[in-house]
Amino acid sequence: MDIVYTQPLKELLQVSTYFKEQIIVLVTNEKDEKVAKQNSFTPCYLVSDKTPESDIQKLSSKKKAVVGGSVKANELAVRLKADYLLQPSNEKQFFDLGLAQKLCNNNTVVVLMFEELLKANSFERHQYWKNYIELVRYCKMKNVKFVVASGTKDPLLLRPPKVRESLAVLLGLPQGKAKEYLEEELK
Amino acid sequence: MKIEKNKKAIIPLSKRERKRYILFEILNAEVAEKDFYFGFWIDLLSFFGSKGLAEINPKIVLFKGNKAIVKCRRGKEIDLIAGTAFIQKIRNKKIIINPLLTSGTIKTLKEYAKIE
Repeated sequence: MDIVYTQPLKELLQVSTYFKEQIIVLVTNEKDEKVAKQNSFTPCYLVSDKTPESDIQKLSSKKKAVVGGSVKANELAVRLKADYLLQPSNEKQFFDLGLAQKLCNNNTVVVLMFEELLKANSFERHQYWKNYIELVRYCKMKNVKFVVASGTKDPLLLRPPKVRESLAVLLGLPQGKAKEYLEEELK
Repeated sequence: MKIEKNKKAIIPLSKRERKRYILFEILNAEVAEKDFYFGFWIDLLSFFGSKGLAEINPKIVLFKGNKAIVKCRRGKEIDLIAGTAFIQKIRNKKIIINPLLTSGTIKTLKEYAKIE
């Protein structure tokens, strides 16, 4: 399972079929959702704290992902019972045991968008890495699912599942669990 | 005066450091062998640092076509595979490095990749 932003579908299809992996495409409107479904990708709505309440109510039966990175955004993911919480921490830590427990109850998957890490300079990268080691430790304690996703708009920045699994292991997740979370098929 | 050469002590096989070989595949662009050597090192070094990279001890053993066999210390395969995620470009060509197989012998990898 990999999570990416909406991008040129032809190239994305080529790369994803090569890696033999289910791809979740983050969409913001119905048009993108239709296109994703037509190409046998799984669409997932991207919700932020700026999304109007009326739009959020319409998405109740659909898959939702919330971009975290602040206390407010992380709490929004808990309130909406989102399926995915993307980037809950960045250079600063916004993740704690209490949040992990709430995410566990909602069965939310915590996602590290790898492109964010890739874009960061070496100083920011060490802060990201430090925060994510702590985050994975909390996830392990509360049995929250943690996945490393490519999180990119460029098909050539997609990373193979084996590499993403290794990154999760490097962050402290047991290898068996890292593999299990990545191979989880969505219905 | 005659200078006598000391014979290099041969470390018994059982006491040698254990190693692993990983077969990588380079997708999207054709890369020259020299460029791959350089590009491979630079990104790994920036991520692991000198100490980390020395512990992994990676060595490019073979490069043919779009496949490369890299040797590393046993137990550090995961680190090496994770490190390759940071390699985006080689000579301004965007590439994806895909790990195919890990093994204790080159022979297995050569057979898998059909390299002579």
